[in-house]
Amino acid sequence: MAQIPLFPVTTVGSWPRSTSLIRALRAKQNGEMSEADFDSVADQEVISCLRSQEEAGMDIVTDGEQRRDNFYSYAVDKLTGMQLMKVSDLLDYAKDRARMEEVLRALDVPAFAIKSPIVVGKVAKKNGLSLDEMSFMKKHTDRQIKIPIPGPYMLTRSSWFEGLSDKVYDSPEELAKDVVAILRQEVLDLKEIGCDFVQFDEPILSQTVYGEESTETFMCAALPQRRDPTEELEFAVRLMNEVMDGITGIRTGVHVCRGNWSRKEEVLLVGNYGPMLPHLMQMNIDQLVLECATPRAGEMEVFKEYANEKEIGLGVVNPRTDEIETPDEIVTRVKEMLQYFDPDKIFLNPDCGFGTFAERNVNTPEIAERKLQVMSQAAVKLRAEFG
Amino acid sequence: MAQDDNLNGLPRQKLIEVLESFKDPEVFKAVTGPWKSRVVWQDGMRAKAYMRNHVTEMDEPGDLTATDVAASAHEQLLSAMGSCITVGFIVNATKRGVKVHDLEVVVEGYFDNIRKWAGVEDVGNPGYGKISAKAFVRADSDEDTLRDIFRLAVEGSPVTQTVRHSNEVITEFEVIS
Repeated sequence: MAQIPLFPVTTVGSWPRSTSLIRALRAKQNGEMSEADFDSVADQEVISCLRSQEEAGMDIVTDGEQRRDNFYSYAVDKLTGMQLMKVSDLLDYAKDRARMEEVLRALDVPAFAIKSPIVVGKVAKKNGLSLDEMSFMKKHTDRQIKIPIPGPYMLTRSSWFEGLSDKVYDSPEELAKDVVAILRQEVLDLKEIGCDFVQFDEPILSQTVYGEESTETFMCAALPQRRDPTEELEFAVRLMNEVMDGITGIRTGVHVCRGNWSRKEEVLLVGNYGPMLPHLMQMNIDQLVLECATPRAGEMEVFKEYANEKEIGLGVVNPRTDEIETPDEIVTRVKEMLQYFDPDKIFLNPDCGFGTFAERNVNTPEIAERKLQVMSQAAVKLRAEFG
Repeated sequence: MAQDDNLNGLPRQKLIEVLESFKDPEVFKAVTGPWKSRVVWQDGMRAKAYMRNHVTEMDEPGDLTATDVAASAHEQLLSAMGSCITVGFIVNATKRGVKVHDLEVVVEGYFDNIRKWAGVEDVGNPGYGKISAKAFVRADSDEDTLRDIFRLAVEGSPVTQTVRHSNEVITEFEVIS
């Protein structure tokens, strides 16, 4: 893996989309704009996003997921057999519509605003999930590049919907075989074209562990039935390790958070990493990219018994707030984690993206950039002290 | 604003002509009423409502000992109100040339005193004392215009205004031997 300074600074992935980009995305989805025309709009937005990150001092950059509808729904464009469906469309197929209604009301969101890629045919890759994103970035930045892709558990669980997907795959487990093969090839291909860091997004793991029926979140629109959290975590570990079997030479991570669709902290999930860590530590990946700035992530002592077992992508700023954290606050947070992890094991990142869902930016580009700047300033202080 | 004749799934110019025709006394008389529904009891708490060439089933939740094969009448009243606002929104948006991409209306209500329905109390209003409706919309227009369209939809909604105002309801009863 390429050399990198102590306390590398990076993002989790998404960057706020501009109104013009969202319009272009909708036009493309409605068949009113060609792929090429959309790409020409998105190209400029990606370049702008890269410059913002570079100017803010990021050591590892992403393309801000500017081409994506959201962090996993973009799979619809990249894979065969998937269709982007609104929850309002899924209501016709849902077995427990009353429960879906409860969730929609609790979240105060319209069913048309939540979309999920749903398996409706045999799933196979077209030209890779993110190879185009990677190739474009390679031409426009000299920084290390991180590519976030949906994790195998997320992609499997969120896209298998009873009544639609079972016509092709009997069970999520059957679908997982194809998902694993696709993601495994994706990592190999990304490595081949020079990607430095692949981040698997698995936010619904927190839904599995902390979610209760009354606080179902639609992070996964397929609304999984409540399942045994341990079994689900074991399933997630198995899938990840099948994807990563024998792959080396590229940094990999798994991102877990507690939801990033609202600025209302009270509607997001709560709970420390204790129940998850025994499983996350079994994943054959290098780094845990974790939400830690919000108090909802709980106490950091839970990391004590896993000291230095993996790198930590430490969430040190909250992407959903207007207040800008200070470098000293971030340094204090990092020092808390330094009780359990060596300096070369800690990366700094926001808790999550700044625009996980295209139409739900959780912050402005200006505030996002300022938050990245203070992360960089904190890294400078930390390098001076521990370098 | 969109100028296409077909807008929001409606022939815009034709719609405007039809709405204008309401000024004609004959048309006005025809669309004023009577509007009719015939409700036929099936079994238990189930009933079927026949309206022109359409039929809707109604039932009650299982915890009331019913079979819950369909929504209850009072839930369908909420749905009727939400549907009426939906239609009003689309009609007014289309008249103004506003393209609507998505629209959802969420309606909910609380009974004042459902014990009266249950027959365990004699006083109070068993009906909804308060009904709220919230619309979510994604459309090609500015927020002020969309809010105005929503206002027109609510103020012009026959169902909403029927619910909102005290109305004369004439009931008759006849036993068939």
